[in-house]
Amino acid sequence: MLRVSNLKAAYGKIEALHGISFHVEKGEIVTLIGANGAGKSTALKALMRLPPPESPTVTGGDITFNDVSILGMPAHRIVHDLKMTLVPEGRHIFGNLTVMENLQLASWSRKGEDTDKEIQHVFDLFPRLAERAKQRSDTLSGGEQQMLAVGRALMTKCTVLLLDEPSMGLAPLIMYDMFRTLKRLNTEGLTIVVVEQNAHLALKVADRGYVLDTGKIVAEGPAEELLHKPEIKAAYLGG
Amino acid sequence: MEFSLQNSIVNFLQQCANGLEIGSFYALIALGYSLVYGVLRLINFAHGDVFMVGAYLGFFISTALLAPEGMSGLSPIATLILAIPLTMIFTSLLGVSLERVAYRPLMRKGAHRLYVVITALMCGLILQNGNVALLGASHSAFPELVPVVVYDVWGVNINNVMLFIVITAVLVFLALHFIVSRTRMGMAMRAVSWDKFALPLMGIPLNKVIVFTFVLGSAVAGLGGFLHGMSYPVLEQDMGASIGWKAFIAAVVGGIGEVRGAFVGAFLLAFVETMVNAFLPSTYSDLFAFSILLLILWHRPTGIFGRPLTAKI
Repeated sequence: MLRVSNLKAAYGKIEALHGISFHVEKGEIVTLIGANGAGKSTALKALMRLPPPESPTVTGGDITFNDVSILGMPAHRIVHDLKMTLVPEGRHIFGNLTVMENLQLASWSRKGEDTDKEIQHVFDLFPRLAERAKQRSDTLSGGEQQMLAVGRALMTKCTVLLLDEPSMGLAPLIMYDMFRTLKRLNTEGLTIVVVEQNAHLALKVADRGYVLDTGKIVAEGPAEELLHKPEIKAAYLGG
Repeated sequence: MEFSLQNSIVNFLQQCANGLEIGSFYALIALGYSLVYGVLRLINFAHGDVFMVGAYLGFFISTALLAPEGMSGLSPIATLILAIPLTMIFTSLLGVSLERVAYRPLMRKGAHRLYVVITALMCGLILQNGNVALLGASHSAFPELVPVVVYDVWGVNINNVMLFIVITAVLVFLALHFIVSRTRMGMAMRAVSWDKFALPLMGIPLNKVIVFTFVLGSAVAGLGGFLHGMSYPVLEQDMGASIGWKAFIAAVVGGIGEVRGAFVGAFLLAFVETMVNAFLPSTYSDLFAFSILLLILWHRPTGIFGRPLTAKI
């Protein structure tokens, strides 16, 4: 479904991805793991076709969605036409808007449609958001903000969800809850690509994984397999 | 005239009325400064000159519609009704062109905001000097579209044009406030002001929101230019600088990025100015006005309605 082939990406003149290839099939959970600066976030931002300077420019290779190249597509069209979106690192919720407004804004590209049902679905997944619907979202706790970031992404009616470090800054219990919810969304049909520093947790829920190191893929395979590979255990899973 | 309490009160009220009119011009410009800053974090220093261009466009459109002697043209009132929207359409096109030609290419290349602001300043100077080159340094006179009727209210002179201007400014403010706080596009504008990065992830084209903001701000500035021409018929090419700069300061004092701030700041500046003018030698006017504004900023560096940008986690 989503295929990245020999992708090279750079920030200005500094190349961050030196030709990586991976693919994601419908209904899968795929994880990209690796150390800080390995290029995991860069890969997601390149997939979303977000504009520089915050995001990289693709300097080589291709990204295809259902066998059609998406390199020429701006981010908002990817969200609208391909139903793929990203929950960015650091959440990037609109803090000056209420929780409800954040959710409504995300249904922008579907003007006129009745979105009450989808908002209700988000509230079912994250009841805490329902309680805080009228609150300015910068008053939410870190965990609630992450719930809002995921809920907001779902409001775009995405079928492919990219997540960049969803566990960052979360207390363990909330982190496990978040991954349980992701798993539930996956069983409901959502395809998920998740970038994680917490490699153990990510490999536990994922079907397949890729290991990145300084802009290259150094290992790949079924998540279960990666979890038990000695060299991966040593390097990324704390022995 | 002997000094009396009654005279002072009448004088005070007269200055209030004048302040309302001048404040309306400041407000119509300051709103655009504030809208664009709110969305792009860019001080669009060419904005005052969009106001100037609005006055000149209003002049040309009105004279063309009224038609020169001997030819049949529209009546002054029909001219007014048609010329105002036309002026606003043209100035919004100007604003959009500025964004497209001057700001967007720089921002796409990741230029530091300082360079974009300097570019804005240059665009303003280009507009101003382009006008001088095109029309020469002659001062054009705005045609009289509405015969001025002066009302005497307890000794205070108010005229119909003044009333029209103040009412228009208030209505424009209410409309903008409604757009920003109640509509979908306004919600997107507020979202961009907080986080530009995440907007495309919602499926919203960022450029559409930016262009809309420029259209709104420039149309309102054009309207301001037109109204200014109606009230002060002598057009000057540097009016964008003289009035535009003050409007910018008004927007900052009110809290730039906030629609309410621009409106309140504009009237505050106008009142301080006219009051200083009324009771002190006029050469003191700007000195005192700006000193008072400095004190306000000293006390509230983010302006009256501005919120300090807190670090985001």
